[in-house]
Amino acid sequence: MLSKAQLLEPLARLRTNEVVVTTMSVVRPWAQYSDHDLDFASADSAMGHTADLALGIALAQPSRTVICLNGDGSMLMSLGTLATIVASGASNLVLFVIDNGTYEITGNQPVPGAGHLDFVAMAQAAGFQRTYGFDDPNAYEAALPGLLQGGGPVFACIRVELGTEGPISRSNAEEARYLKISLADWSQQFRTALLNDTPS
Amino acid sequence: MSPPADTGPRANVLHAALVDLGVSYIVGIPDNASAVLFDLILRDPSMSLVPATREGEAFAIASGLWLGGRHPAVIIQNTGLLESGDSLRGTAVRMGVPLLCLIGYRGYAKMKEAHLDPHAGPPTRTTLTQSDVDSVALLTEPTLRAWGIPYHLYSTDDDAPLVAEAWAQAHREARPVALLLTHASS
Repeated sequence: MLSKAQLLEPLARLRTNEVVVTTMSVVRPWAQYSDHDLDFASADSAMGHTADLALGIALAQPSRTVICLNGDGSMLMSLGTLATIVASGASNLVLFVIDNGTYEITGNQPVPGAGHLDFVAMAQAAGFQRTYGFDDPNAYEAALPGLLQGGGPVFACIRVELGTEGPISRSNAEEARYLKISLADWSQQFRTALLNDTPS
Repeated sequence: MSPPADTGPRANVLHAALVDLGVSYIVGIPDNASAVLFDLILRDPSMSLVPATREGEAFAIASGLWLGGRHPAVIIQNTGLLESGDSLRGTAVRMGVPLLCLIGYRGYAKMKEAHLDPHAGPPTRTTLTQSDVDSVALLTEPTLRAWGIPYHLYSTDDDAPLVAEAWAQAHREARPVALLLTHASS
């Protein structure tokens, strides 16, 4: 099982100008490693609709990789999105499911099926051609560069330790700059940055 | 009883209005009333169709498309609108996405035949359980008003200019704007 640091630090180190979409209990932890114009926090937003939001960005920007750090609870709220992603042909989407078995934000109540759900098998059944499952930090870090390269869509389920992240607000009390302003304002800034940036 | 499709608006007029606006992506789920329009979109190489599994998913995908610089529109039925509540609120509305939403107004004709008025106050148990009225029709306009979504009724080809007007309103006000398609298009 990985800590969030073991999950996010290697990813932040490898990230160049990919879009990174986060939600729920990885929003603040990701901001400890990244302060990027192309970070988008699906926070103060719609429950369970992070992967589909990321899919829309990926379809709009086919020459840029879009990395989505989704939660297991969030994924369960919109499982059909696995089928939509594959059907859409979005080869530039990398979808992580951060699997801690709980709704961490509300106090780690168990998600339905916690402990026996197989997200990798679900992604394979939906038609993802490249799927990964990790519960060992060394195996994850070794595989990550290859995972981020090549055609997709890519699916990776990462088993992580329970955490203590609480509800996310949008206010000056938050450290991440994209949480200090409204979702509408950050959406506009993000869109402008994305359209002015050239994919590598 | 719903009016025959050949008395309603033509799908090619709606489709042409979308093309004129430069709509590049359609996200949604077809219903019987929009089936012909979906067929036209499927055959149009200037548009990409993204079929969704649920209507709430459609609003999130469309919002992502807008973030990425595209000009999407959503096409769903009013039943799916009710399913979409938190997604519409949390994505397109909360993000300030200028989004044109074409929403099939299932039950509109029967509601009118029963002389029920969606502006006459909250629906009651009696009207919501009335067998000759589709309850989703009674809830559609009150729901849009409650959610702060501007809307216009689209009933005939004469309403075609509403597509551009709703599009302009969505961009001027940076919010979703709905066109309620009261009749099946043919």
